[in-house]
Amino acid sequence: MGIADGLGEGFAVALDPTNLLYVFLGVLIGTVIGVLPGLGPTATIALLLPLTYELEPVTSVILLAGIYYGSMYGGTITSVLLQLPGEAASVVTTFDGYQMAKQGRAGPALGIAAVGSFIGGTIAVVGLILLAPPLADLAVEFGAPEYVALTLFGILLVTYLGTKHPVKALCMAALGLLLATIGQDSITGTGRFTFDQVELFDGLDFVAVAMGLFGVGEILYNLEKTEKAEQIKARIKNIWPSRRDFRDSSGAIARGSVLGFFLGVLPGGGGVISSLASYGMEKRRAKDPSRFGKGAIEGVAGPETANNASSTSAFVPLLTLGIPPNVVLALIYGALLINGVQVGPQLIDTNPEIFWGVIASMFIGNLMLLALNIPLVGVFVQLLRVRGGILAAFAVLITMAGVFSVNNDVFDMWVVLAFGVLGWLMKKTGFEPGPLVLAFVLGSILETNFRRTMLTSDGGFEVFFTRPLSGTIFAFMAVVIVYSTVMGIRRRRRGRPAALYAEQLEEMTPGAEDEGAAGVAASGGATSSAADPTDRRTGGDRP
Amino acid sequence: MSKHLYRLAPLVLLLFGVTAMLQARDLSLGELSAPGPGLWPFIVASLLSLTALVLLVIDDPADYEPWTRGTAGIGLGLVSLAVFIVLFEQIGFLVPATLMLLFWLRLFAREPWKWAVPLAVIGAVVFHLLFAEGLGVPFPDDIVLGG
Repeated sequence: MGIADGLGEGFAVALDPTNLLYVFLGVLIGTVIGVLPGLGPTATIALLLPLTYELEPVTSVILLAGIYYGSMYGGTITSVLLQLPGEAASVVTTFDGYQMAKQGRAGPALGIAAVGSFIGGTIAVVGLILLAPPLADLAVEFGAPEYVALTLFGILLVTYLGTKHPVKALCMAALGLLLATIGQDSITGTGRFTFDQVELFDGLDFVAVAMGLFGVGEILYNLEKTEKAEQIKARIKNIWPSRRDFRDSSGAIARGSVLGFFLGVLPGGGGVISSLASYGMEKRRAKDPSRFGKGAIEGVAGPETANNASSTSAFVPLLTLGIPPNVVLALIYGALLINGVQVGPQLIDTNPEIFWGVIASMFIGNLMLLALNIPLVGVFVQLLRVRGGILAAFAVLITMAGVFSVNNDVFDMWVVLAFGVLGWLMKKTGFEPGPLVLAFVLGSILETNFRRTMLTSDGGFEVFFTRPLSGTIFAFMAVVIVYSTVMGIRRRRRGRPAALYAEQLEEMTPGAEDEGAAGVAASGGATSSAADPTDRRTGGDRP
Repeated sequence: MSKHLYRLAPLVLLLFGVTAMLQARDLSLGELSAPGPGLWPFIVASLLSLTALVLLVIDDPADYEPWTRGTAGIGLGLVSLAVFIVLFEQIGFLVPATLMLLFWLRLFAREPWKWAVPLAVIGAVVFHLLFAEGLGVPFPDDIVLGG
């Protein structure tokens, strides 16, 4: 199917009244939870997973995708007005956005972020259309060794990029892989780690694990830092940026779109890394870098564009290779599996309505976000009056009722509770739930393909390195490991944290949540806030 | 001693990993050319144990947040959730949901009674209508509705 035919079918799917309604619901929910403190995109998507049983597969992905990129818009609002990122990708926006608000320019800051996000999202959709079909054609050639290489690569990058402690993240990934083996062995039928419990024969339910770790775990963690409702002082006027604002930020938006697109495609990339990278790039390119941190509009436009572009392009590896590059996409992947859709290179051919429908819905969704955000910012800001405690009580009840509705089984409620406790303890001890869930989702693909490879290669490992595709991926992995280890040692010698971007992550506010490695932000900020627990909402003057 | 308390987390993970390795061995590992059901779990459990062992030595104590009074509150919240699940199985959704909402609204949101009570009752009824009536989820027999 050509691009034109595909897009035609895609828009036919996306403009179907039901799907149109769910795009709207998705971006609206996304914006709302982006604004609300204490509930980020990962938690929300986890909480809404049971709903996807009731929907058509394409409709559920349209809804969840809308929540994802919608939350990128919502997070901006609180970053600019309160220096309080609603989700981690908006942390960078606080640097200059809040300064603009203090200078009475909150309106243009929000306006340029909305416009930039729209442009970034749209360019990324175009990139997705152009890049995905050839990539899927290539992926059809993939055999078992390639899948082993790709899944390992995905897990590796998620543990290395954007996490504070690669070893801790790797440890959690191993735990996720181990938890994935619970239940009947798919090849021999032997029960593994079931302890003769009938409920465990089919393994742990992905929905229950995700809802527990991200939903309940997040809610509990944020509750512990209960804070009072926020007062907005900044007045918002003149949302539409001036001609000069557009001129100043057009370059930043263009560069942010491209940068965000490519970082989003990378496993382990995603919103946080792209917004940080874009901010760094704009600051380096600026004639007068000292303006940054004092209300430079490029510092808002670039990162906001980049994080939206990346949240769209993150669908490329999922829809073409069947490999989710970050945790939010892992949840969406889970939603598709629940619906019995085989996600992989064949998706474009077997389920063109999903591939093209989701792409078309993203374009429509970005348009809706632009239309929603410019006039309604004032309304969304009012949501900040809702207190975290009230939100938590209702969210937890929805979680419990929701997970019961999946299998009508009380056992799943206990699984959610157990993983909720685990998720909360993990966040308190600096372990990240992100790598665990990603590894849990990818575990069975990895194991099946590993065993298949071993069977065909008669137990030899050289097949991984001699096949051109898997060999290339493994070589790439080796480069990443060597590079990051060397950099880590060099940084450690200078007394800096070992991980990539750890310094920037260090500055993040706790409670903000990231799709690449949920918990990064929280653990990153934990050290600084431990001394002063009230610091989180009062927003001490950071540079 | 207490300054080494943070090492508890890697230690638990290490024990967990080693136990899983032993269990996986009992499942029969097979050969690399003919992997048994225990081989893959054994490999990942080894990875878990290895990383946990490394963490036992190198982990950064600053990562671990102190236990505060808020933590005790979370403990109470968790107990209330467990009670909710037990009651839900016995007497249906409405009463346990109302009680749980009331408890959380008082404990975490510090709502005054005059707001907490109506919010909890309305919330429970709305969710009941949404899930049981709207989505047709078969909740256990409800004591209020006399099911």
